[in-house]
Amino acid sequence: MRYYLTKEKEEYILDLIRTIRHTSDIVEFHFKALDKSKTNYEKLEKIFLRKLAGQYFTSFDQIHWEKLARQDIPTKLLNVNRVFNLHRGFRPSGGAAANSGSLVTQMPGKAVKIAVKVGDKVIAGQTVIILEAMKMENEIKTQIDGVVKNIFVKEGDALEQGVKLLEIIEEK
Amino acid sequence: MTEQKRILIINRGEIATRIAKAIRELKHIAVGVWTDNEPHATHLEYCHEWVRLSGKTNAETYLNVPNIVKLIKEYKIDAVHPGYGFLSENTEFAEQIEKLGVVFIGPNSRAVRLMGDKAISKQCAKEAGIPVVPGSIGAINTIDEAIKIAKDIKYPVLLKAVHGGGGRGMRICHNDQDVKNNFEAVGREAKAAFNNGELLVEKFIVNPHHIEVQILADKRGNVFHFFERECSIQRRNQKIIEEAPSPFIGEDEALRKKVCETAVMLARAVGYDSAGTVEMIMGEDKSFYFLEMNTRIQVEHPITEEITGIDLIVCMIQSAFGEDLGIPSQEWIKRTGHAIECRICAEDPITMLPAPGEVQAFETIFPQGTRFDHCLYRGLKVTPDFDPMVGKLVTKGLIRSVALRKMRAALDGLLLEGLKTNIPLHKIILNDERFVKGNYTTGFINENKPNAKVNVDVDYQKIYRILAGIEARKMGV
Repeated sequence: MRYYLTKEKEEYILDLIRTIRHTSDIVEFHFKALDKSKTNYEKLEKIFLRKLAGQYFTSFDQIHWEKLARQDIPTKLLNVNRVFNLHRGFRPSGGAAANSGSLVTQMPGKAVKIAVKVGDKVIAGQTVIILEAMKMENEIKTQIDGVVKNIFVKEGDALEQGVKLLEIIEEK
Repeated sequence: MTEQKRILIINRGEIATRIAKAIRELKHIAVGVWTDNEPHATHLEYCHEWVRLSGKTNAETYLNVPNIVKLIKEYKIDAVHPGYGFLSENTEFAEQIEKLGVVFIGPNSRAVRLMGDKAISKQCAKEAGIPVVPGSIGAINTIDEAIKIAKDIKYPVLLKAVHGGGGRGMRICHNDQDVKNNFEAVGREAKAAFNNGELLVEKFIVNPHHIEVQILADKRGNVFHFFERECSIQRRNQKIIEEAPSPFIGEDEALRKKVCETAVMLARAVGYDSAGTVEMIMGEDKSFYFLEMNTRIQVEHPITEEITGIDLIVCMIQSAFGEDLGIPSQEWIKRTGHAIECRICAEDPITMLPAPGEVQAFETIFPQGTRFDHCLYRGLKVTPDFDPMVGKLVTKGLIRSVALRKMRAALDGLLLEGLKTNIPLHKIILNDERFVKGNYTTGFINENKPNAKVNVDVDYQKIYRILAGIEARKMGV
């Protein structure tokens, strides 16, 4: 069984090579991760899982067991500062290729001020929109020099994550 | 037994739960509020009755004074506990409900008016003979005025909302250009968060320690202090780790006594009659200035409760009804050990920016004596409408190093999935040499950049654990 962990352009592929059911409540899984070239495997990891008192415990050495927090089959997987999309068995089609000239909200929030108009020249690092999220004002800055072609939001709009804010045509 | 009162909690999250627990303990009736965005909030489990606040934004729900006053009449409420944030320092609200004969669980409106307004509170402190930080007297209206004062007291200066708090609506300015750039933005933030856009300017003290003293007073003229807390670990001027007692004051009992007695003096001067906090800023030379007084219960109150054994929320309610607090004298209040609190926030540990999301798994395996005040449950959606804080982890020990050890273990035992949190950042800070020594200032995060030390490599072992869990479930283990 193959697992895909994706976040924007990052992708990790993990394969479940073998499953051994030792008893009714102890199972051994062998996992291998594909390396960056996606052709060779990294080293094999053996993980043991046992069910005790209705809870899952996992171990890599069968000596130190750690409790696994109870959760429904997850579709997202947290790793330090990233939340990956988790896909079991297949890769979703049509990955999101972000247009370098368009700004997209990184978190839900409210547009409180739009600092540019259509046709304005902007330089990299210039604040174009001020977004309020969690009581904080966040300045959204453009990464490129160019001209504002389109603005898709109004001041006061409540925005979800991943909404296109505006489009900038790059100028050299 | 005293008469049973109906107490409305105009708040949400962990503090609403904390207040409801205290109300139940005192055998009063806890009335909680909920909104359409959060019909399953955890605090509702602890309440006896529930009131729905209609509307979507905070201005329509938790900050909507006319509607709340209407509900207070309709539900025959005897007292209101505002918690922190929202209406906790809103004088108009306190006065309006006092007129209805409803008890505001907090200080009298005169004290809130004097202390809730930063400009007036500074004036009051000056008159009471307490040292204050140089800055503007009263609110400023124009950018030019702000620049003039900033030049007088010399840069860097802090531009902040008169009615601000919780680190919101304040920016550091190093020159005239900064003041120009930030004036409008701070005003807007202040208007959005506190419904009042007035600003003031004051000197920004470099490398300061943030020390605050917990005050508890009753309506019978008693004012007690419960020692100090140090809250110097801050990001965006918002505290993330607090501890009591302050490691900076350390063994200097004379200084500790002086700081605490100054706070009591101020509380007496304004006729304070509830739980409150006097915030002070302490320079390297251990000189301290009055910063502001928070006329409400604070987020970090648990650490004081842990080292002194007092229940501040219970006392606050008793004090509001004019009852005896059961504290014979200041000498009875003893502190033992050391307590530390980490605020668990739904935010990216590297950028330290809020990161909304949904809790997929939440379980705890804590060391003995851990206290976790939280509003977490599996399925909780953290939205950008509220502060990203979802819980407060508190540990204590007879000495500081034990409290730190327990905290490290507690952070390891807090199993939270699906939501980015600042737990990795806390772990880095708790292992930082400077923090472990107890020698840190409010500039700690900016200087040490613990957020840059968080290991962002993919943790395959953790992934395999979760994948094993998925497979086992599919197999029906």
